[in-house]
Amino acid sequence: MPLDTISTYAQTLLRQDGRRWNELRRITASISTQPSSDGSSLLTMGNTMVLCTVTGPREGNRRGQRDNTNATVETEINVASFAQMDRRRRVRNDKRIQELQSTVSSAFQSHLFTHLYPRSTISISLHVLSLDGALLVACLNAASLALVDAGIPMPSILAAISSGSVTPTDDSSTRPEPILDLNNVEEQELPFLSIATVSGHPGSEDKVSVLTMESRCQIGGANSKLESMMATGVDGCKQVRRKMEDVIRKHGAKVLQGRK
Amino acid sequence: MKSLKRGLAADPNAVNISSKVFIRSAKSGRVQKVVREQYLRKDIPCSSLLCSACASTAVADANGVVPKFVLSKRPAGTKAFPDGHYLIPDTNVLLSGMDLFEESGHFHDVVILQTVLEELKNRSLPLYNRLMALTRSEDKRFYLFFNEFRSDTAVRRADGESINDRNDRSVRKAAAWYTSHLARVTKKPPVIVVLTNDQENRRKSKKEGINALSLRQYVEGLDDADRLLDMVSQGAEGQEGRALQGELFYPEYYSMTRIMTGIKAGTLHQGVFNVSPYNYLEGTVKVPAFDKPLLVLGREASNRSISGDVVVVEILPKDQWKVPSTQILDEDTVNQNDNPDNEEQEESVITENEKRALQEDVRRAHSAGADTRAQPTCRVVGIMKRNWRQLVGTIDNVSGSATGNRQTTVFLVPMDKRIPKIRIRTRQVEELIGKRIVATIDSWDRDTRYPVGHYIRSLGELETKEAETEALLLEYDVQYRPFPKAVLDCLPSEGHNWKVPTDTSDPGWQGRRDLRNILVCSIDPPGCQDIDDALHARPLPNGNFEVGVHIADVSNFVKPNNPMDAEASSRGTTVYLVDKRIDMLPMLLGTDLCSLKPHVERYAFSTLWEVTPDAEVVSASFTKSVIRSREGFSYEQAQKRIDDPTATDELTQSMRTLLSLSQKLRQKRMDAGALNLSSPEVRIEADNESSDSLADVKTKAQLATNSLVEEFMLLANITVARKIESVFPQTALLRRHASPPASNFADLSDQLKRMRGFELDVSSSKALADSLDQCVDPTHPFFNTLIRIMATRCMTSAEYFCSGSHAAPEFRHYGLASEIYTHFTSPIRRYADLLVHRQLAYAIGYEGGGNEIADESLRNKGKLERVCQNLNFRHRNAQLAGRASIEYYVGQALKARAEKTPGAAIDVEGYVMRVFENGIVVFVPQFGIEGLVRLEDFQLKNDEAAKRESIFDADGYTLTVFEKGREQQGVTVELFQQLKVRVSSEEKSGAREKGKRRVRIVVLSV
Repeated sequence: MPLDTISTYAQTLLRQDGRRWNELRRITASISTQPSSDGSSLLTMGNTMVLCTVTGPREGNRRGQRDNTNATVETEINVASFAQMDRRRRVRNDKRIQELQSTVSSAFQSHLFTHLYPRSTISISLHVLSLDGALLVACLNAASLALVDAGIPMPSILAAISSGSVTPTDDSSTRPEPILDLNNVEEQELPFLSIATVSGHPGSEDKVSVLTMESRCQIGGANSKLESMMATGVDGCKQVRRKMEDVIRKHGAKVLQGRK
Repeated sequence: MKSLKRGLAADPNAVNISSKVFIRSAKSGRVQKVVREQYLRKDIPCSSLLCSACASTAVADANGVVPKFVLSKRPAGTKAFPDGHYLIPDTNVLLSGMDLFEESGHFHDVVILQTVLEELKNRSLPLYNRLMALTRSEDKRFYLFFNEFRSDTAVRRADGESINDRNDRSVRKAAAWYTSHLARVTKKPPVIVVLTNDQENRRKSKKEGINALSLRQYVEGLDDADRLLDMVSQGAEGQEGRALQGELFYPEYYSMTRIMTGIKAGTLHQGVFNVSPYNYLEGTVKVPAFDKPLLVLGREASNRSISGDVVVVEILPKDQWKVPSTQILDEDTVNQNDNPDNEEQEESVITENEKRALQEDVRRAHSAGADTRAQPTCRVVGIMKRNWRQLVGTIDNVSGSATGNRQTTVFLVPMDKRIPKIRIRTRQVEELIGKRIVATIDSWDRDTRYPVGHYIRSLGELETKEAETEALLLEYDVQYRPFPKAVLDCLPSEGHNWKVPTDTSDPGWQGRRDLRNILVCSIDPPGCQDIDDALHARPLPNGNFEVGVHIADVSNFVKPNNPMDAEASSRGTTVYLVDKRIDMLPMLLGTDLCSLKPHVERYAFSTLWEVTPDAEVVSASFTKSVIRSREGFSYEQAQKRIDDPTATDELTQSMRTLLSLSQKLRQKRMDAGALNLSSPEVRIEADNESSDSLADVKTKAQLATNSLVEEFMLLANITVARKIESVFPQTALLRRHASPPASNFADLSDQLKRMRGFELDVSSSKALADSLDQCVDPTHPFFNTLIRIMATRCMTSAEYFCSGSHAAPEFRHYGLASEIYTHFTSPIRRYADLLVHRQLAYAIGYEGGGNEIADESLRNKGKLERVCQNLNFRHRNAQLAGRASIEYYVGQALKARAEKTPGAAIDVEGYVMRVFENGIVVFVPQFGIEGLVRLEDFQLKNDEAAKRESIFDADGYTLTVFEKGREQQGVTVELFQQLKVRVSSEEKSGAREKGKRRVRIVVLSV
């Protein structure tokens, strides 16, 4: 049996991949990877790799669902069968994937300036090529970058991260030990949540736009784990946003250079 | 088109990321390729208090706390390293020498490498847990160094390098780093000592300038080396030099893949290996594929497996099938003269004597033409899981004199008869002889006849009360250490002065009914301190009665998930020995605050019924309450009070009501088919040193008041079980007793039919109860009890379970003939009851203290199932320990009697329980013991001390004993026969019997 985080963390303050509690995995990203689409990005967080293409805004193909005042955001997520350790056959109508799709859609539906494109559709297509935890988080970040690439107006960049909590037992007497950006092994072992924020106006605080948690965790009480996880997560989102902005700036600089 | 490749070179952090890729194969045969990232860093401290550099860069956790540095400034020195040293053990050293590392006087300042920790966890989870406990203890100063994550010490597996070589290399690299790192920060750094039993690794270390020692070499340099050296595992030695030599006694195990495919294909079978208590060469393996267990005969077939191991077996061809042995075989008597030193000279794994014993079996199987009775036999071809634990035993008489400090090999004979002798090497033979010793098995290779083990510690002189009691507790895995401080901290701060608050607005009163005005009393065995239950009955205006059972409200004091709860949960039950009680809860609670002592107010959990005078339950309700017991009776006192016609007070009247109701309840239960079972029970009053000890062995008397209490407790348990099952359909903690399969009774019913012509109907518990009632022998009143005892042994044992894990029809309690049952009435001494209290409190919507966090854990099925498993295990062990304790004391009592009045023989009645070819098992009801009677122990007319012989009739269950050539003067005994026997306690020559004072039984006349 491999080592686990809970039993050794208190003594070493190290996680199973050698990170400290507040360190992200390596994030790399590039945009405009797929010239055939309107916007695209390729994002890696550690061993998780997501390819995103955005089509639109364009005229909605399904008449009935057209919104007369706003654009509709549609999302399709496809986890490659080779993305994880075991080769998995794709199940059609996987409820979990469907929920992720609607989470991503609604996050951007309210974030983008959709009122500029009434009666049209923006399709986000996400391909998970390799998965090592943080599925929703990587999808949100990749989509965020691809939407920027597609030139769809938005007030700020939506950045997401997962955060978890290392606590020895169920008991509420110990202080919470939050950790940031969990990989797959940690997700199996620890309670965690996925959080995404958008930056507010200059000077005001970031706003949480997505928050999901599927594990059991103590919410109330003196040493609330949820609170520490969220605080850590909001900080983590800032780090992620900085990295994404870097990517965009670099890409922009390159584009400008190409024009000259 | 752009490339999808990541520009790794462009990333400044890329150097710090490495990845760990390995292939792993699951038990199911699936192969997975695992890829993990590893972030290498420079801020992992060395954790030595000498080092200021690391202290300045140490990183804090999320709460801003920097972990304390562990390794001391001035570590202890040894002869070889007078300036002090830090230890770095490798995995094999930890695997074989964990007992040494747990020694309190030595092995401080140890660096545990991540590489080692991970490997250890892979190899043995229990050892890993013990090591983690060490790393958490402050005074041992063990430091977990995550060497794989520090960039200076991370090691990549080279091409073609085996994983073991890589791990050894990473240990050496870490040691080298520590050496150079400490040299940089201090002038006189402690020496880094690598402990490894691998010669090759030591050679390489030497080449690289690292101090590397084997565990033995290191221990030799410590003071107290003699004692510690005995604790060095023999297995570790084996790895060093000796490759398997010439003679191989045992066949090789099959390879894991062959076993797995075999099991899948159904040609091999997996099961737990059990050794017969009467014949150490005969074992059985129960496998799911067959109804009857498979036989394993002889050492070669059992192939190094030890009772309790999970083994894989292969069925032998039909011509080798045999009838189970009817002989009694003790290892001691067969192989008395083995010499532990002369292992290598022995010809084969089976000694001549053993061969002869087995030969008998085969002859019988063939001559009887008993193909019908021959059972399939099998041989062990692999071991899935070893069940090796610490064993308590004694040193066998040493052949040859051990002088001085020389290392000698001796046999340790475990108390448990089913486990073979263990070869251990020791330098302190003289001190160990005549002591109770704890040892463990290290290995059992193909070239050694007996397993090899090592000494752990000595418990003290044989036959001293302390040593024997501790031996017993260890043997049955009873946790007997004093309660740790964390547990005691959970007790109420008022201590013995705690009182039920007088003010009824106190939070303690919330949701409680005030039942202080009701006349409640308790009835318990004499001298009982932990009073769990109290009762009352009073007439109602409508002619019915209100009956109440009040149970100590332990859940008020033991809150869920605190250290006290965890301790109680792991102890599971209070263990009662003859002279000692190992409490589940601290004394303060068990015997005072919870105990429903007379004349004081106590919190209780009450069950109240309205019953008609015919004992029909009209309604039931539950409430937390406060009661004041008016009197604490013993069974006898209560009986006297009830029988006393002059006592007409209200309390006595209510007891009379209870008694008459209980008798009606009992009748109803019996009509429903409840079994009246028997187990040999005696009570020992041990405190009285001066009195005639033998008189103190009493069979438990059954008074009407015993069953009074019992009936109402059963009623309470059943009522509560219904309630909690309705609220927690998935997670109610219940108790069930499965109906035994009819095949369990096959032997007994055959015996009864042949010997006495009785039919045993086992179709239902009602039928069984009725047919047991039929088994009466007017001339032997005890006969019926004997049959009940034997029938009890044919049944399965009752178990705790969680309601979601069985279908509702299987909730049934067979023995009590109840549809549903649980334990509610003894929360002071059973953890199950405590959990049931919590569930019931939740079920009735009790809002008081302790209920807030209970909800979650009460609904967690997985957790509850684990708890049940542990409770069942502890419960069984507690029973076994209690019985063993009584057995020991009966022996002691007999011994004392013999010493006081030598020559005064104790002649009592005995009954034949089993008949073997060379002896019988006799049960002596007066002392509640059963013992083997060998041929030599039959008293014959005209005894000439010639060799005894016997004729055994397997079908008629008779045995005729006679001296060679004098068949006419033989003595014939048969099953169930009543005998006059002489009981005495004597020290047997075999080391196994030693100290245990096996009772010797001699058959006097027939």
